[in-house]
Amino acid sequence: MPAIDLETEDGRNEALRRMYTIRRFDETAAEHFADGEIPGFVHLYVGEEAVGVGACAALEDDDYITSTHRGHGHCIAKGLDPTVMMAELFGKREGYCNGKGGSMHIADVDAGMLGANGIVGAGPPLGTGAALTIDQKGEDRVALSFGGDGSVAQGQFFEAANLASTWDLPVVFLIENNQYGEGTPVGEQHNVDNLSDTAAAYDIPGITVDGMDVVAVNEAVAEARERARDGEGPTFIEAETYRYHGHFEGDEELYRDSAEVEYWRGRDPIDAFAERLMDRGELSEEGFEEMKDEVEATIEEAIEHAHSSTDPEPEEAYDDMFDGEVPDITAFAERLRADGGEQGGEL
Amino acid sequence: MSTLRIGLIVNPAAGRDIRRLTGGASVVDNYAKERVAECVLAGLDVVPNPPEVLAMPEKAGITDGAIETTPEEVAAGTLDLPIRGSAADTRRAAARLGEECAAIVVLGGDGTSRDVALECRDTPLLLVSTGTNNVVPSAVDGTVAGAAAALLATGAVDDRAVTDRHGMVEARLESGASVRGLAAVELIDRSFVGTRAMVDPADLVGGIVSRANPGEIGLPGIAGALGSISPTEPDAAFLGLREPAEAGRTVNAIAAPGMTAEVGIETHQVLGGEESTTIEVEEAVLGADGERELEVQDEEVEFRSLPGGPRLVAFKRVFAAAAGSGVLEKG
Repeated sequence: MPAIDLETEDGRNEALRRMYTIRRFDETAAEHFADGEIPGFVHLYVGEEAVGVGACAALEDDDYITSTHRGHGHCIAKGLDPTVMMAELFGKREGYCNGKGGSMHIADVDAGMLGANGIVGAGPPLGTGAALTIDQKGEDRVALSFGGDGSVAQGQFFEAANLASTWDLPVVFLIENNQYGEGTPVGEQHNVDNLSDTAAAYDIPGITVDGMDVVAVNEAVAEARERARDGEGPTFIEAETYRYHGHFEGDEELYRDSAEVEYWRGRDPIDAFAERLMDRGELSEEGFEEMKDEVEATIEEAIEHAHSSTDPEPEEAYDDMFDGEVPDITAFAERLRADGGEQGGEL
Repeated sequence: MSTLRIGLIVNPAAGRDIRRLTGGASVVDNYAKERVAECVLAGLDVVPNPPEVLAMPEKAGITDGAIETTPEEVAAGTLDLPIRGSAADTRRAAARLGEECAAIVVLGGDGTSRDVALECRDTPLLLVSTGTNNVVPSAVDGTVAGAAAALLATGAVDDRAVTDRHGMVEARLESGASVRGLAAVELIDRSFVGTRAMVDPADLVGGIVSRANPGEIGLPGIAGALGSISPTEPDAAFLGLREPAEAGRTVNAIAAPGMTAEVGIETHQVLGGEESTTIEVEEAVLGADGERELEVQDEEVEFRSLPGGPRLVAFKRVFAAAAGSGVLEKG
């Protein structure tokens, strides 16, 4: 059963709610980042919500995903808890990685979310690896790797797609073409107009879909998932989308003009889908307002929880990295506890 | 209209939709399209004083790449037209080229051909197949299309003798919206336009065709199993389909590229030029030539054929007329 069934009215409403939750989670994260409450960098998914939600809706609960540096949307789409995510962004012990991963490294293996990743193109090899595991264990699930347009130009993407196609592994490569690799327009990074044309190099099908349309993304991923499960190997899906915010918060965005941003905002995936549900009589103005209020309450709760959460102690820095005890790490933690980090702060 | 100019429209998006995943549809990449476009331009040189070329601009660089290879004798350029990367580009370009050219060469599938046909006025069209669901365009070498276009544009062959008017069909909603198709307007059992292409032939629940032949793909092929209609006839056929197990009769047909199917027939109605048929639609999507176009809920939908379809060039007749006329002889 797909995680969210877009063939049903309830499923469509849930997809809208999920997209709006991503929007408000990221807009709220931007405010708190600007206030200096969130360490590190944040890369926001605002504008790209239909890709994450359309894709994850077509997956089943025990399917795997791998993510990118712009991963909050993938996490929420896969069903992770915004409260635990926000604590992670704030660097708190109550976060998904005990506050040590932050915005770019949220992971929840139990939920099938194998990790956001700060390295461009690092997700696809993980996806191929997860698919190899599925294949070797004879399991009935698939892996989906999110990647940006920039990842397709990385050597590791080639390696991941080449092995996955050679071994017919159950993986879907979903490329979010948001038109820029950091500040470089996609046309200046690649010699093909449609990134899906590169699928021919691996002898796998490649298609391009409207990434601002949650139904279009969902249909494509549903078909690709079925191919993967039927042993037909990987599929390359390019979703054409756009990020409304800069590459990271604080980006001066000198590489694009406001008219372009306005054009894409005019195709907003949330407004467009809400309007379609209203036209179909599946959502009322009041119903949408109520949904927004509920999402707002969830996000406020996440912020309150993050504020009341605790910072990890320095001696916990290397915890959770290894399965079992590592004597050097134990000794390191003991030294830190003894002198508060004055001496012996390194392994 | 300049008699010494031809138009060129290459749809960069044709031939790469979701049917790559669901059927046996072939992939036509942009490199292949550029080679076909180069051949079209090379073919123009078959006549002395070849016509000039005005092409639709597009962002994939197919047309620009092809123009760089144009033979010296051929002047080629692109229309000054803003492009958005959607079907609207094709329609705007067709309107302009229809005004300014003696003939238009189109590289695309049924969808692209329809977009051009809706806007090109009465300009003869030379349709070269590079799309997915190709009932209307011909699988002809680009050089042949270019040579045919040159023979027409220079007046060496009279276009009235070598063109046929293709039918068109329409579905019109009570609320005023309508969908027009060159070969077919389909009724599809889906809620959303989504990825546009028809994902599963089993979703097809009916529609109207301007032509019918069992050798064609999709709804025209299904209708063709019950009786043939030539593309130039004013008649159309309306079909209502259902599950084969529940239908009184069934036909075998080419349901999609790479896919044959047994299809249950509930209704089959041949409509004369002036006739129409109206049905109640609770929830479906209307498609045109294999692409989902319009979401419909609780509407009366009227299906009919439309007069005034496009004039399509019959390639073989162009060369038959040229043979022996001296136009291709030197000295």
